[in-house]
Amino acid sequence: MSGATVPMALGVPRSDRVGAIAYFARRNPRMILGGALVLVWLFLAVFAPWVAPYDPIKVNVTDALLPPSRTHLVGTDDLGRDVLSRIIWGSRVSLSVGLISVSIGFFVGVSIGLAAGYLGGTFDLLVMRVIDALLAFPALVLAIAITAALGPQIQNAMIAIGIVAIPAYARLTRGQVLAVRAREFIVAARTIGSSPLRIVLRHIFPNVLNALIVQATLSTAFAILAEAALSFLGLGPQPPYPSWGQDVAYSQRYLANLKWWMSVGPGVAIFTAVFAFNFLGDALRDALDPRLRRSA
Amino acid sequence: MITYVLRRLLLMIPVAFLVTVGVFALVRLSPADPALAFAGEERDPAMLAAIRKDMGLDQPIPVQYVAWLTHVVQGDLGRSFQTKQRVVEAIFERIPATLELGAAALLISVTLAVSVGIVSAIKRNSVVDLAASGVTLAGVSFPNFFLGILLILLFAYVIPGHIFPPGGYVPITQDLGDNLRRLVLPAVTLATASLAVNLRQVRSSLLDVFGHDYMRTARAKGLRERTVISRHALKNALIPVVTLIGIQIGAIIEGAFITETIFLWPGIGRLAVTAIPSGDYPVVQGVVLVSAFSFMLTTLFVDVLYAWIDPRISYGNATG
Repeated sequence: MSGATVPMALGVPRSDRVGAIAYFARRNPRMILGGALVLVWLFLAVFAPWVAPYDPIKVNVTDALLPPSRTHLVGTDDLGRDVLSRIIWGSRVSLSVGLISVSIGFFVGVSIGLAAGYLGGTFDLLVMRVIDALLAFPALVLAIAITAALGPQIQNAMIAIGIVAIPAYARLTRGQVLAVRAREFIVAARTIGSSPLRIVLRHIFPNVLNALIVQATLSTAFAILAEAALSFLGLGPQPPYPSWGQDVAYSQRYLANLKWWMSVGPGVAIFTAVFAFNFLGDALRDALDPRLRRSA
Repeated sequence: MITYVLRRLLLMIPVAFLVTVGVFALVRLSPADPALAFAGEERDPAMLAAIRKDMGLDQPIPVQYVAWLTHVVQGDLGRSFQTKQRVVEAIFERIPATLELGAAALLISVTLAVSVGIVSAIKRNSVVDLAASGVTLAGVSFPNFFLGILLILLFAYVIPGHIFPPGGYVPITQDLGDNLRRLVLPAVTLATASLAVNLRQVRSSLLDVFGHDYMRTARAKGLRERTVISRHALKNALIPVVTLIGIQIGAIIEGAFITETIFLWPGIGRLAVTAIPSGDYPVVQGVVLVSAFSFMLTTLFVDVLYAWIDPRISYGNATG
């Protein structure tokens, strides 16, 4: 019974966090701008079939390579496909890879970090060396290598980017766990006989959550960028399915003919989506975890 | 100091071992059969079995790993399935192009970051500072392949005179002028990838130094502002910039894969990217291994250099 009172007294109440964000948002236009852009992209991704003016795959050679106009706001490609519709449908790929790969990184990384930080000893030593080994690879090179090994598919890109994201979560969580592990409320919880799992999930995890929310937002930006890079190299979804990175790569052959809209359209989409998550992440960092403001 | 270096080297051993396990596992992760990739058009089962035996694929995985590692430490990364060229040779042939591109990008990025960062910190909220903040903000979100394509579009096709070619490479020894002309766009593309981070670091570390007491003392004793900045502020503020070079190496290796592909630059990144579709695993594996070890060794070198330059770093507390 008393076990329940300790976290109630010392945990971070949800309403406080929401209140802090709301208060900060009023004074921080970056959060509004970043959040609004994220919402716009999420909306477009979810409602793509209704929002997109044309079928993104349907070939219509009579309309090939049309510059931006009223009928095709971002022009058409060499097969007469509407670039804007491909951008809108492409957001599904980018955002789903972003969210799923970040979820993989989050769950695996946080679990490793919680276990390593709380258990310590040999487990911590061994697991963190594996994390160090993952960090020894330049992130994108590792993602390229894993996707190349598993085969160029969207699911494999998600797995690869997810694996690359693991170390950041593991290190962040472990560091935070080590910081709170010796605090009085943890000792108190242990004294009253709480199980290690309960201590980790009910007492330690809420203390790490703010930093993790920030990390998740920022790593979604990285994941979108990485997916675009993998697609650009032909390691993402395969044609004719729309994907921003792949469409930018495809447009390269028409640069000499100055069909700029084929590159600029999907390129601006990548930039605005990555920018939105980076901007929101930075603003959330200031709101939720001022200690991390300079360090990350 | 020597103890610190030795300790860092010792800590690197298990990580290096795990890196080799990871790189080896990459090929084993693949659902494709390396023997099939090696055989090309050959589909005769007896021939495939012979290739498998020759490649050691019929051995247990740990035995295969030890055999592979033994070759790797002897500098043998296998042969390309496609060209049958030794992977080490293929990498060595392309390293000069990658190093040239990387060095040029590093030079552009660090020079711009330091010079603009200084002006930005000294003249806070000026036009330069605001422009630098804009670059920092946009730079971290701008995909460098998109930047590369925009640069090609502008400088190779839109602006009259076709100032720079859209891609390709000419060795320095053949034609220095043409080599440099072809280097500009890829180097700028690669440099921009890390410029934003560098600029932010230089500016914030300078602003941090400006707040210290010794800066006030230097001004109070009547030193000229230029001397205060160059002798007192920069000397200390630029120490963290050393670590930037370490971070840059990772960004440059990553960027090389993309940038070399856009600009048809014959470096190791493009070597790996062109090897992927044909399932030429030894080449991909070799390039990834070389990239990881270059990254690890540079990070170590930079950490040691940082500890050597900055006497405030405690060797005892520094860990891998």
